[in-house]
Amino acid sequence: MRRDLFERRAFLRGGAALTGALGLQACTGTTGPVASASKLYRPPIVPLRLTPDQLIDVKTCIRPFRAAGPNLSTEQIGDTLVVHNYGHGGSGWSLSWGSGEVAVGKAMSVLPKEIAVIGCGIVGLTAAVMAQRAGLKVTIYAREMLQRTRSFRASGSFTPDSRVALTEPAGAAFPALWEQMARFSWKAFRTYLGVTGDPVAFHDSYGLSDTPIVRREHPADPSITDSWATKGLPQQNSEFLHLSDRIKDIVPQMQPLSAEENPFGVAHAVRGSEMYFNFASYGHTLLGEFFENGGTFVNRDFHDPSEVTTLKEKVVIHSTGFAARDLWHDKTVMPVRGQTGWLVPQREANYSIRYKSGLALSKSDGVCIMHFDNELGEMQGVGNSLELPDRDDVLAAMADMAPIFEKKGA
Amino acid sequence: MANLAVPAALLVATVALVPIAALSAPSVKSLYSEAQATEGATLYAQRCAMCHGKTLEGTWEIPTLKGRFLNNWNHAPVARLFDYVSKAMPQMAPGSLTPDQNAKIVAYILKENGAPAGATALPTDTAAMGNATIEVK
Repeated sequence: MRRDLFERRAFLRGGAALTGALGLQACTGTTGPVASASKLYRPPIVPLRLTPDQLIDVKTCIRPFRAAGPNLSTEQIGDTLVVHNYGHGGSGWSLSWGSGEVAVGKAMSVLPKEIAVIGCGIVGLTAAVMAQRAGLKVTIYAREMLQRTRSFRASGSFTPDSRVALTEPAGAAFPALWEQMARFSWKAFRTYLGVTGDPVAFHDSYGLSDTPIVRREHPADPSITDSWATKGLPQQNSEFLHLSDRIKDIVPQMQPLSAEENPFGVAHAVRGSEMYFNFASYGHTLLGEFFENGGTFVNRDFHDPSEVTTLKEKVVIHSTGFAARDLWHDKTVMPVRGQTGWLVPQREANYSIRYKSGLALSKSDGVCIMHFDNELGEMQGVGNSLELPDRDDVLAAMADMAPIFEKKGA
Repeated sequence: MANLAVPAALLVATVALVPIAALSAPSVKSLYSEAQATEGATLYAQRCAMCHGKTLEGTWEIPTLKGRFLNNWNHAPVARLFDYVSKAMPQMAPGSLTPDQNAKIVAYILKENGAPAGATALPTDTAAMGNATIEVK
């Protein structure tokens, strides 16, 4: 009922084009078991325990989605220069470094010695650390530190074009800016590989299906005549901007697996390598760097843009994510609800699978479970700002995936 | 020993002054009525408690409306709090409550944070609230 109310299923009639697709953005079309280009042996797979008793947390968040993409503009409020850095949709983690580079660059254009950052989600904290690396004294003003922000309720894999913008409102210049930010972030994350605690890591990522796996397409449904332009919310998948092909030279792409290479008892499989973030370790590492560099954290809530002029710093990077909608009265920030379930960590099973409606992503801070409505696709959660967890929804995804491992053990 | 005597004397003087200063300070202006807060408690239980908790305690993820809340809102214009609640809450359906309901809920939150009730109810529009600020301590 709630999903019908909030996720606007009614707008998605005719979405059958997505049936059977796994949302794998870069696998080439196949029509059956295919011979892999590689001759790799079948890797041993430690089965994931996808049982309800392992579920220890359910986290709900809201992606701060803007049709035109993140707001990276500047604004003068009294004597204070405000550099905006918010509204990254489902790409905040992945674009945090590249976006921070843009924001800090704009902040430094007036040659400040000290700056303020408002907001301590992943985008704000990363920008703060980058400003320090540029030699500035930085104070973060925020209601919460990273671990209690919405950023910490993400899934934690490198998804730089996940609900980042709509094609039309983003305009012709955005893709190049996005590519610059995504490439910059990719290199920044690589500097954390192998660091104690593995804040950033890679593992194998499998797409599994009982039917042939095809590349996800986003054809426009001509029967849907409304759009973001007329309704203020996107109305179908085809409105969303997809940019991942621009960086496929550096980001490993999904490859089809032959039956000999497929380690699961499922007819069709693709495999890629996936970069992901271990939140606990990453949070401690980044906050540690911030404080080590002399950063100051002030617990403060802002209620109106005019309050920035009360700060002693006259250059402010504004990174409040979804909260910008109310703080900055930016009604172009729209909610896109997301939810993750978390199982007890299973570090011996270090991979991810996507099968039917479920995703299981094994990390050091737990096995992240997500439940997808393949019919809704990118529209899942759009316009929904309910931030209460729905445990049954997580269990449904687990139930969908569990037979994979039951078959294997049979 | 002689050195210690001086601060001790100052301490006594300071302690003695506190009640006098408190007595001479103007009383904190009340922003809402008791009846309004009582009705606000019912509305809070129906519309807010599902996220913020029965006793306004919040969670790891959802802000508490007591304690740290006061740190964020004390000395702020009550009109700003009313405006925020009116536009941003309830988060799953922002703007869905009437001005009257929002005023009652704000009154209840103020009461729970120790703001004194008075004879006059909190108005239902920000203009009528003027520049009155939340003053609890």
